[in-house]
Amino acid sequence: MPTVDLLQTLGNKYSAEILDATDEPRSAQELSDELEIPIATCYRRIDELTEHDLLELHDNILSDDRRRIKVYRRNVETVRVDFDDSLSVDMQERSEVTNTLDEAWRTLSEG
Amino acid sequence: MVELTKTGVDGLDDILNGGIVRNSTTLVSGNPGAGKSILGLQYIYNGVKRFGEKGIYLSFEENTEDIRQAAESIGFDDWHHHVEEGDIRIYDKQVLLRENDFSSSLELLLDDLDDKRYERLVLDSLTMFQLFFDNEREQRTYLLKFTDILSENNLTTLMTNEQGTVFPETDIGLENFLTDGNIYLLQTPTDSGVNRYVWVAKMRKQNIDTDIFPMEILEGGLTVHPNASAFSMMSGDDSPL
Repeated sequence: MPTVDLLQTLGNKYSAEILDATDEPRSAQELSDELEIPIATCYRRIDELTEHDLLELHDNILSDDRRRIKVYRRNVETVRVDFDDSLSVDMQERSEVTNTLDEAWRTLSEG
Repeated sequence: MVELTKTGVDGLDDILNGGIVRNSTTLVSGNPGAGKSILGLQYIYNGVKRFGEKGIYLSFEENTEDIRQAAESIGFDDWHHHVEEGDIRIYDKQVLLRENDFSSSLELLLDDLDDKRYERLVLDSLTMFQLFFDNEREQRTYLLKFTDILSENNLTTLMTNEQGTVFPETDIGLENFLTDGNIYLLQTPTDSGVNRYVWVAKMRKQNIDTDIFPMEILEGGLTVHPNASAFSMMSGDDSPL
């Protein structure tokens, strides 16, 4: 039952914190440091959240020591759980306006 | 030496010590009817007519025809001609709010900005622009990103901002801190009509005259009387404060 699956993912320790922190693109290492999540757990949570489209791989950025780092950003603004008819989970995705502006801004700061 | 963009508004450039800092964003605040949109039209029209600078006019408030009529009503007879020639690019309410799809309009706009053909931009109004964001934090973040994008594309921008109550009792909104300049348009009713004033409260990198000056809205748009600072508004019943 995908809905319950989704709720389980969200309910996992750290998952909501990761979503909260990924308003702007963040790397696994940053999230691990900031939220004090063991790095292996952090990767696991990121995988789970990405699988459920709650989080997305935003970019591969170049680090200071010239390595590629994956940065993630949340894909949802709101998640609503409805118990009325049958259990349903409604996700409101990030607005496209913010995505468009983020994109343009990022291009320009790289330029 | 800071480069300046002249508004071409009589008297205003004097107060600004020459003009608005190039590639900056200035917030124009005031009550409805204070002359914000007129200042915007004038800034764009003067840019084309007198300084050979093309402009973009974004309006969430009006459609192209309303804008044209407003421009013609203050004597900008060639407004429509310049729109047709492409010297003035208009994104009106109908385009910006088409099928609730502001994001594709934004894409078009970003393409236009990339062109580097335009040097001036007016956004009427910031109040409406901010409705596209979910909370205050997002509004601030994206206002900063948007002004960055404009600045990097060499646009000198005026954004109008609706102000509910009479200055200065009103809270000063955060957007006033986020932009490079702040111009307030004030109006106060009198027995014979309305007294109007302009106050340039802030202009980064510029040494400005921060007194409050009287202004009029006439054929040709706003006219500011920079030599009338002695004219005291602090006494008498007509005080805007």
